[in-house]
Amino acid sequence: MQGYLWFAAKRFVQLLAVIFFGVSAMFVVTYLSPIDPVEQVLGRLSARSNLSPEAIAATRAALTEMFGTNQPVLTQYFNFWSRLLRGDLGASLMAFPTPAMELVLRALPWTLGLLLTSTAITFVVGNLLGGLAGYFQNSRWLKAFGIVSMGLQPIPYYIVAFIILIVFGFLWPVLPISGGFAMDVRPGWTWSFILSVLQHSLLPALSLVLVGLGGWFIGMRALVSNIVTEDYVTYAELAGVRRDTIVGGYVIRNALVPQVTALAMVIGGVFSGTVITEQVFNYPGMGSLLVDAVNAGDYSTVLAVCTISIAAVALAIFIVDLLHPLLDPRVRAE
Amino acid sequence: MGALTVAANGLAFAQDAEGTAPDLAQFPRNETVIVHNPEGIIRNPGWFNLWAVGAGNGTSNGLHNLTTDTLWFIDPDAGIEGASENAVYNSLADDLWQYNADFTEMTVKLKQGIFWSDGVEFTADDVVFTVEKQKATPGTPYNGAFSAQVAEVTAPDKYTVHFKLNAPNSRFHALFAVRWTAAWIMPKHVYEKVEDILTYDANPPVSIGPYTLHSFDPNGTWYIWQKREDWQRTAMGMIAEPKPKYVIYRNNITTDNRLIEIRNGNLDMVHDLTPEGTFAVVKDDPQIQGWFPGFPYAHPDPTLPMIIFNHQNEKFQDKRVRWALALMLDARAMSMASYRGAATLSAISVPPTGTHPRDYHAPLQDFLINYEVDTGTRKIKPYDPNIGLQIADMVRPQFGDAVPTDEAAVRNAFGYGWWKQDVAAAEELLTAAGFTKNGNQWMMPNGQPFAFEVMVPAEGVINRLGVMIAQMWTQAGVQATAQVDSDTWGRQRVGNYETNIAWAVETWGGHPDLSFFLDSYHSAYVAKPGESQPDRNWMRWTDPRLDAIIEKIRKIDFNDPKGIEYGHEFVKLHLEEMPNIPIMAYNVFSIQSNRYWTGWPNAEKPYANPVTNWSNGRYIFTQITPVAG
Repeated sequence: MQGYLWFAAKRFVQLLAVIFFGVSAMFVVTYLSPIDPVEQVLGRLSARSNLSPEAIAATRAALTEMFGTNQPVLTQYFNFWSRLLRGDLGASLMAFPTPAMELVLRALPWTLGLLLTSTAITFVVGNLLGGLAGYFQNSRWLKAFGIVSMGLQPIPYYIVAFIILIVFGFLWPVLPISGGFAMDVRPGWTWSFILSVLQHSLLPALSLVLVGLGGWFIGMRALVSNIVTEDYVTYAELAGVRRDTIVGGYVIRNALVPQVTALAMVIGGVFSGTVITEQVFNYPGMGSLLVDAVNAGDYSTVLAVCTISIAAVALAIFIVDLLHPLLDPRVRAE
Repeated sequence: MGALTVAANGLAFAQDAEGTAPDLAQFPRNETVIVHNPEGIIRNPGWFNLWAVGAGNGTSNGLHNLTTDTLWFIDPDAGIEGASENAVYNSLADDLWQYNADFTEMTVKLKQGIFWSDGVEFTADDVVFTVEKQKATPGTPYNGAFSAQVAEVTAPDKYTVHFKLNAPNSRFHALFAVRWTAAWIMPKHVYEKVEDILTYDANPPVSIGPYTLHSFDPNGTWYIWQKREDWQRTAMGMIAEPKPKYVIYRNNITTDNRLIEIRNGNLDMVHDLTPEGTFAVVKDDPQIQGWFPGFPYAHPDPTLPMIIFNHQNEKFQDKRVRWALALMLDARAMSMASYRGAATLSAISVPPTGTHPRDYHAPLQDFLINYEVDTGTRKIKPYDPNIGLQIADMVRPQFGDAVPTDEAAVRNAFGYGWWKQDVAAAEELLTAAGFTKNGNQWMMPNGQPFAFEVMVPAEGVINRLGVMIAQMWTQAGVQATAQVDSDTWGRQRVGNYETNIAWAVETWGGHPDLSFFLDSYHSAYVAKPGESQPDRNWMRWTDPRLDAIIEKIRKIDFNDPKGIEYGHEFVKLHLEEMPNIPIMAYNVFSIQSNRYWTGWPNAEKPYANPVTNWSNGRYIFTQITPVAG
């Protein structure tokens, strides 16, 4: 037990280091971005009306002061960490003076709701069918599913999403194609709201499931195909162990270890949103927030999104690292 | 599926106190217009203070279209008959501006009987407060403009405003003249009570327009506005009654979704589509209309996409080189590649829209036809007045009767003409400029290959145009490489490009005065390489003759007929120097549906710009009528 605690402590230090260096790297990247938020605002202003050079200079000075972009980079960096440790990511520059964290908190639930659900479905269904296809290699249905998955896999996501949009939005317009819920529904814990959210999430979720399923299916099928040739599986079969025990208890369970690792990475990535899904279906999540923030040179919001994403991925890997020794005796032995 | 979705999504509304859910049954379609707002997700949806820069609020979500007002409006098109002259509306002002002899003072008489939506009367004090407050508050949109230009603003009486300026300026009124936005007037009685106006959300906004806020999406994708009971007590109401009781603005709708939504009857006005999307939807649904009744359907915006050379780059400082590059181009190919032929060409640096064909394009045709370029070997007449007709013939097999046949209609839609592709003349010009040809590669006088990058935006018609231009130059022996960039606006602002495909001209459109873009062409605005400058004259062209024209315009009144004369002088100087190569109007595929409402503006009745985010579009609501009673 003491060894496990020591292992966990080392991993925890690594977690902190990853977050520190990851977030610092993001700070540098955003700082080096050629997009200047002050110039973005100035550009919009001077495009609207004739501002004299003096007027532009005065406005630039005021905005630079307001946004704090006139400070030396090191000062900005230390201020950033100081605020971050207090849970404050600063004011958004594209929605000044709203805190960047408020924008993130507004967008995050949509992304989490959509992506966690679709990821859970693709993971469970894809791995289950992939595992069965790897074990029962002569099943016609599973072979057919494999062919469909292989066929869907190389199609760019955008194309799949677009086809879904045209089919269900235009040719057979039965589902909403935009937004998170209907205009005439008040947000809250009511059935009408829940049904509306569900209805609006169906098409984006379907697009994600269709594309995501194949990856899990193919990966799991390959893993199981290897495991079924292992001696312990052959021995179990010869010993007359029940087939469902072999499939569920020995084969799929062992094959799940790398899949769970991959799942952790995917779940961590969920926090930065799915840009294309949100663009195609006008879904109000983290992906579109990140794109808007990058285009506006809104460092605060970009850093807020990235910090959460980096922390989520690092944390997910940390948790998987802690769970691995408990799941896999080989790792425990090491 | 989705329990988790619901649980998580529910959290999104921890901050939704401002949001209310409208009952759609109370918005019958014969009382409700649904407008597409081209803005993305509005990040600060509960913010309605237009006087805080960069606050993340929506602008063309109905806020500046329906609830704000200023002294004058200028429509890029003709304006409502009887309500405007040269498309200039007196909005809060009762008459046009009055300057003193040397343009150091401006007096404005205001309309009487206008009230804010909370019942307080609009007076000269509101205008004075607007100017003084912004002058004193860095971070407001006109802080710089008012600080630099206004020495003093006073209200001699309740309905008169008097400005004293720091320097002569015959276009000072332009700050209060809407092209698509301007210095909106603040409600003094509201903002004088606010300690820090930069952190004030103004929710709900007090309106001086004929509509007030009904409800909005706390996630920033729709807004509903309701007509005031006392709409007659607004400047717009004094022109005519706005017909819709409700106006819904919907934003964050991708191009594909807009097409589907208007086809399904969920939008009445769409800001912009792709050329292909427009062609498909007007063919599919006869109730949907574009600006022209047939091809090319699009509305020519008062902007002018062009090839912009960076004059601070030594490769483009010889006008013979710039002319040579112009003569290597095929206008027909550019039109087909970008707009599938639906382009309105312009050979001169004034967009062919609004009143400009009347004031510039038509009167200058003879000059253009007879215009000569000396190649160093011979003199050529490069202008082809019939390229628009040729393009119409090219698209006729595909679009048939939708393409006009009347010559005047064709010129109106496709433009008057453009430069002939004349590679031989281009080669003579380059040779005269000291260039040499090595195989199929032109070499500069310094012996280096004539190679440069062509910056193009990431998508859209201008992307396709830029790629085609680079290809044509490459075929002619110039190593032009199309470089796609997502931050073209930022780069052109600091001159970080060699050649750029964008627009550097935006005009009033409905008025012949060119000051809107020309003033910022003055050499005083041109920044050093790497430094930012106003969003025009991105080519950083300086010429004492140009400054002289601009200064002459600054010294005459906005409506002085000499303005057109000086405008012609500018066009001729521009032709001589070819500092950038104007190509075509920025045609916008704005469409409307006649399913529920009709009477939209179009080329035959061009009373307003149809683009939904321009504030001028508010006048459309006074002209449309419901299809069903």
